[in-house]
Amino acid sequence: MTREARARAGFFVALAALLLGGCISLPQTDALRATPPGGLPPRVELERVPFFEQDDFLCGPATLAMVLNAAGRPASVESLTPQVYLPGRQGSLQAEMMGATRRAGLVAYPLTPTLEALMRELAAGRPAIVLLNLSFRFAPVWHYAVVVGYDQDLGKFIVRSGRKPRDEWSYAFLEFLWKDSGHWALLALKPGELPATAREAEFAAAVAALENAGGRGEARESYRALLGRWPQNLAGLFGLGNVEYALGDLAASAAAFRRATEAHPQSGPAFNNLAHVLAQQGRLAEAEAAARKAVALGGPTLAEANKTLESILAKRTTSGR
Amino acid sequence: MTSSFARVLCRILIVCMIGLPFQVHAGLIGTDQVVTAEQALAARDMVNSVVSRADVASQLQALGLSPETARDRVAALTDGEVAKLAGQIQSLPAGADGAGLILLILIGVLIWWLVKK
Repeated sequence: MTREARARAGFFVALAALLLGGCISLPQTDALRATPPGGLPPRVELERVPFFEQDDFLCGPATLAMVLNAAGRPASVESLTPQVYLPGRQGSLQAEMMGATRRAGLVAYPLTPTLEALMRELAAGRPAIVLLNLSFRFAPVWHYAVVVGYDQDLGKFIVRSGRKPRDEWSYAFLEFLWKDSGHWALLALKPGELPATAREAEFAAAVAALENAGGRGEARESYRALLGRWPQNLAGLFGLGNVEYALGDLAASAAAFRRATEAHPQSGPAFNNLAHVLAQQGRLAEAEAAARKAVALGGPTLAEANKTLESILAKRTTSGR
Repeated sequence: MTSSFARVLCRILIVCMIGLPFQVHAGLIGTDQVVTAEQALAARDMVNSVVSRADVASQLQALGLSPETARDRVAALTDGEVAKLAGQIQSLPAGADGAGLILLILIGVLIWWLVKK
């Protein structure tokens, strides 16, 4: 009997005892069994997700390599280790897993923490990295694995983990190991790709994080996808305006900020940025009107608004327009 | 005396190194300021963010990274992530080994023994 097989047997004994004793409950597994999620194929397996075997402590780089390659970004355990592995902790932090995803030009999106969301993303062709605790809550042993499929008839997930390229875990097994991380799961999304289970604010924040990490061209596509679904989203309009500006397209930038001011007439920052871009375009009269509006709205960005207005007024004086 | 001066100098240099790449175009307000729910704190957060990025970078160095690697890795994080790491880099989950599965056997044996008794 292999070590993992023994561990599996141990788990089922423990789980049976705990369930009988009423010590733990696995509500998500119960719910999935009681009412299978609608609109999903009975079985999904993303065979195209490559497997990378991990050496000791390197499950972070290995799982990341799997999802990055699945999203079309070549990566290996060797190339990712310097980006996520932390020698002093002998492991990889969640934040850095997300950071490395952004460095690859992908949106790092933390999934809604449910088994059902996991299944919906798998059905849409997206594998997810999950953070598991293999031990007690008070002495955790953290481990990353990649979920690549499910089988509703068998009640199982298909997982790439550790040295196993393909393993089948019951709903209960995954939920049990997954719960201590708060059911943390990460998607690596291509530019312009919207998750099947996307939440507006969380997706906007994930794209803004990619923009801040330097992936402007990629963020532009994802902002457009966000606005395709939620046309009024302030962060989306604002972010699109900022990346268009950074990429040198002033007309597109002004158009995005204009939309932001129309959809959110109370947003001082939107008027401030619109004023700034209009001034760059030489449309000083319009710029001044927008800057005055930004100053009138005040708020925490009043100082920037005042500066913008001053510089526009100075420009108008020198240019005589 | 010399070493405390060196420490201060190092801190300043770290702040500069980390802070400079983050300067957005003057005049434009960054997207993160709109995304942040607590907009009232935006200006103060900006200062805090530069300081805590330097902090986290030096903590990462203490955990075995080179200064350049630490800086690049911090640059890929959001302000919120940096703030979370700042105080808890030693205690936050760090995914590592699959061999820990062995501990599950111990749980199993323990529970089995308790139930049987």
